[in-house]
Amino acid sequence: MSTDRRYRFLFERERFSLRNAGVVYAFLTLAALLTVATAISSQSNYLDPRNIANIFDQSSLVGLLAISMTVVLISGNFDLSVGSVAALGGAIALSLVDRYGVPVAVMAALLSGVVIGLINGLLVQVVGINAFIVTLGTLTAIRGLVLILTNARTISAQSDAFSVLENDSWTIPHVLLVAGIVLVVVAALMIVLASRRAHQLSLAPESCLLAVAGLAALAASFFADWDWSLSHPTWFLFGYMFLVWLLLRYTVLGRHLYAVGGNAEAARLSGVNVSLYKIGTFVLSGFTAAFVGILYAGKLGAINPNALSGTELTVLAGAILGGTSLFGGSGSVVKSVIGTLILFMLANGFNILNLGANYQGLIEGIVLIVAAGVYTVADRSRRGGRVHLRQAGLAPALREPHRNNALVSSKGSRE
Amino acid sequence: MSTKEHGAGAPLVELRQVTKVYPNGTVAMRGVNLRIHPHSIHGLVGANGAGKSTLIKILAGALEASSGEILWKGQRVRWRTPADARTAGVAAIYQHIPLVPTLSVLDNLLLGRRGWWRTERRHLAEIERLLSRVGYTIDPLVPVSELSIGQRQMVAILQALMRGAELVIMDEPTASLAQSERELVFRLVRQLCREGQTTFLYVSHFLEEVLHLTDRVTVLRDGQVVAEMETATLSEEQLIEAMVGKKLLSRRSGPPSGGQEAPILLEVAHLHSPNKVKDVSFTVRSGEIVGLAGFLSSGRSEILHAIFGADAEARGLVRVAGRPVPRSPVGAVRAGLALVPEDRTRQGLIRDWPIWRNISLPDLAHLATAGLIPRWEREQERALRAMSALRIVAPSTAVPVDSLSGGNAQKVVFAKWMYGPVKVFLLDEPTVGVDVGAKAEILELIRRFAREGKAVVLVSSEFEELLAVAQRILVVHQGRIVAERLAAETSEDELVRLASGLARERQSSGATPLEDEG
Repeated sequence: MSTDRRYRFLFERERFSLRNAGVVYAFLTLAALLTVATAISSQSNYLDPRNIANIFDQSSLVGLLAISMTVVLISGNFDLSVGSVAALGGAIALSLVDRYGVPVAVMAALLSGVVIGLINGLLVQVVGINAFIVTLGTLTAIRGLVLILTNARTISAQSDAFSVLENDSWTIPHVLLVAGIVLVVVAALMIVLASRRAHQLSLAPESCLLAVAGLAALAASFFADWDWSLSHPTWFLFGYMFLVWLLLRYTVLGRHLYAVGGNAEAARLSGVNVSLYKIGTFVLSGFTAAFVGILYAGKLGAINPNALSGTELTVLAGAILGGTSLFGGSGSVVKSVIGTLILFMLANGFNILNLGANYQGLIEGIVLIVAAGVYTVADRSRRGGRVHLRQAGLAPALREPHRNNALVSSKGSRE
Repeated sequence: MSTKEHGAGAPLVELRQVTKVYPNGTVAMRGVNLRIHPHSIHGLVGANGAGKSTLIKILAGALEASSGEILWKGQRVRWRTPADARTAGVAAIYQHIPLVPTLSVLDNLLLGRRGWWRTERRHLAEIERLLSRVGYTIDPLVPVSELSIGQRQMVAILQALMRGAELVIMDEPTASLAQSERELVFRLVRQLCREGQTTFLYVSHFLEEVLHLTDRVTVLRDGQVVAEMETATLSEEQLIEAMVGKKLLSRRSGPPSGGQEAPILLEVAHLHSPNKVKDVSFTVRSGEIVGLAGFLSSGRSEILHAIFGADAEARGLVRVAGRPVPRSPVGAVRAGLALVPEDRTRQGLIRDWPIWRNISLPDLAHLATAGLIPRWEREQERALRAMSALRIVAPSTAVPVDSLSGGNAQKVVFAKWMYGPVKVFLLDEPTVGVDVGAKAEILELIRRFAREGKAVVLVSSEFEELLAVAQRILVVHQGRIVAERLAAETSEDELVRLASGLARERQSSGATPLEDEG
C-alpha cells in the first residue's frame, strides 16, 4: 500500500514536469516578461483586458486549426492542406451567400472541407500514400482551385451576414465574479469526484490551486467590476477546445484515437477500426479548416485568393510548442492552443514594444526549436527517470527473476 | 557427402569454450566448442532457441562473447563489430537479405568497397569473370528489387565472394525459396566449396537439406554442443534425437473436457492467402486446445492472422459458434475471437500506456457508460482483478507496460482478452521471451481457458510445450497443414520430422485427413 501511494505521488509530480506542463510555464513566463517590459518602457499595460482580448482574437483562427491539427497528429498523421482548404471554404461561402443565403453558403463551404478531408484520408489510409505528400499535393491543388474559382481576384459579397460571426463580441459583465464562480465550482467538482474515487478526502494540488484562484477572483470582484468583451471567434476557439478536450479525455473515441496513434497494429489487433479513426481525423481537419475559412471571410467580407497561405506552418508550430508528438499517440488540444497563444503573444509583444517586426521570425523560430529541444531532452531523461524510479526501492517489485533460459534469449534476440 | 573428405588439418575457425550471457541474465551459450575446417560445408542444427542465432552473431562480430576464445586460422581474434569480422573474411547471410533494393546488382556487389572512382566497364568485367567462374548468369545492371528471392540469395552469396569472404555463414537461406531456387543455391554452394576457396557454415531447420548438403554437422541444444559428426555417418533419427534430447515430458493434457460431443466453436474452411496460407481447414471444439506445430516462417502465425481477419488478402470461411466471421479484426473481436500476437511490443501493447489502459482497450465499450464514456473505477477494477488473477508483478495499475518484464507484459496481453466475451483464443507463441516461472503460469492459464469451455488454438515452436498442453496437434509446413496427430499418440521426434518436411512423402497416405472432425 505504501509503495502504491509513493508511486502515485511520483506520477502526479510527472504531471507538473517540464515535459508535461512546459508550455504552461513558457506561457506564464512570457506573459510576465512582457508585462515587466511594457511596464518598464512605460507603455500601455500589457495585461490590459483589451490587449488580452486582442491577442485571443488574433490567435483564434490559427488556434482553431491547431486543435484539429493536434487531433490529426495524435492519430499519427499530418495535414498540410488546412490553409488552402480554409481559403476554399471562405471563397465558396462568399460566392454563394448573396444568391442562396447564409445556410446554403455555410453548408456548402463546410461540405467542401469535409470532402477534401475525406479525399486526404482515403488517399493516406486506403491507397497508402504518405500523409505529408498527399496533403502537400492538396495544399497546392486546392490553392489552385481557389485561384480558378475566384479568377485570381479578390471576391467579396454584398451580404455582411458572416461579419456577425467574426466581428461581433459577447461581453462578460462581471468577469472576475463569473471566473471566480466557475473556478470554485470546477475545483469543488474535481475534489468531490477524486474523493469518491479514492473513498477518502483527496485534495490534489491542482484542484486546490483552482479553488484558491477562484476564491481570489471572487474576492477581487468586490473591488473591481471589469467587463470583458471577447470576439466571437475567441468564444468559438475556447468552446471548440473544451469540446475536443472532453472527447479526447473522457470518451472511448478519444482513448481509441490515442491507441491508434500510439501503436496502430496493436490497436487494430485489439479490434479498433484504425482506418475509420485515421480517415475521421482528416475529415475533422477539413471541416474545421472550412469553418475557419468562413470566419476569415466574415472578418473582411472579402477574400483574397492567396488568403491564409502559409498558415499551416504556424498551426503546426503551435501544436509542436504545445508538446504534440509528430509520431502520434500523444498531444493535448489545450496545450496546442496555449502554444498558439505563445506565438501570437510574441508577435503582439514585439508590436507593443516597438521592437521591429524584422526580428519576429527569427525569435519565433528559435522559440520553436528550443521548445522541441526541451521536449526531446525531457523525454529522454523521463525514460532514464523510470530507471531511477526502479532504484527508488521499487526495483524488487518490478523485476522478476530471470533464470537461465537459453531458449528464451536467443529467440528473443533474433526476432 | 558432396565434397571430398576432410581429415584433421588446422581448422579455419575454432571456438573454444565460448559462453554468452545476455545483460538480462539469460545464458544463451554455455561453453561451446566448434571447429570448422577449411573448404567444407559445415551444418549447424538445433531446436528453436538452442543458441544458433547467438552463435552466428558471435562469429559474424554482431555480438561479443562473454568468455571463451575465437581462433581464426589459428590466431586468437576479437571481433567487436561486424566490420571486423568482414575484414577478416567472414560474411553472414541472414534470412532477411541486406541488399539495397533500389540499386543494381552491380552496385550491390560493390557495396562497401572502398575507393572513389567507379568505372562501370572495369567492374562489369570483374563481375563477368566471377559469374563465369561460378557458372551463374544474372544481368548485373538489373535493380535488386526486380529479382526473385532466390536470385537475391545468390547475389548475397556473390557479394560475400566479392568481398573475399573465406567463411560464409548462411542462416536459414532456403526458408522462403521455391524448390528450383533451392537447387540453384545448393549447386552454387557445392561448387564454391569444391573450388577450395570458400567454407560454409550452413544453418537450417530443414534436416533433409542439412543431410543432403553438408560434410559435418554440429548439433546445439540449450546452448551446448551435444554432437558433432560426419554427415555421412549420420541418420535422420540420430540427428533428431540429438536435437531433441531424451527428455521426460510432463504431459498433463488430461482428457478433453468437452469430449467429442462438445459444440464446435471454431470452424476454419479452405483458408487461403497468397504465398502464406494454403487451403487450411480445421475445427476446434469447446474446451479443446489445438496446437499448431511448425518452425519459424512455416506459416503458422500467418494462419492465425488469416483467421483473425488481420490479413486482408486471406480468403476462406471462418465460423465462430456456427456464425460466419466478417473478414476484419473489428468483426473478429465482435464475433468473440481474440488474438495474442507473437510480437508483444509491436502488436500487442501500447508501450507508453499504463497497465490498466492496455487491459481495457479491446473491451472498452463494455466498461463505459452508454458505451461512450469509460468508467475509471470499472477499468481499475478489471485491471486489479487481472493483476491478482494472473499475478502480474507491478506496484500499481498505473505502471507503463514498457517497464515490465517479458512475462508480466505477456500476462497483460492475456488480460486484455480474459474478461471480455471471448469464445476462441488464438495464441501465437505466448511463452516466447518469458522466464520459466511465468511460462508455467501462462501454460496453466491456457488450460484454464479450455476448462472454462473456450476453444484455444496455440502456436508454438517449442513442441514440448504443445505436447504438454494441447490435445490435438496440427503440423504446419510451408503454409499448409501437413499432418494431424493426437498429442497422446505422438512424440517430439515425430513432430520435428513432420515439421521439417522430412516426412513429406508419407504425408498423403499417413496423415489423418481433417474433414472427419466436422
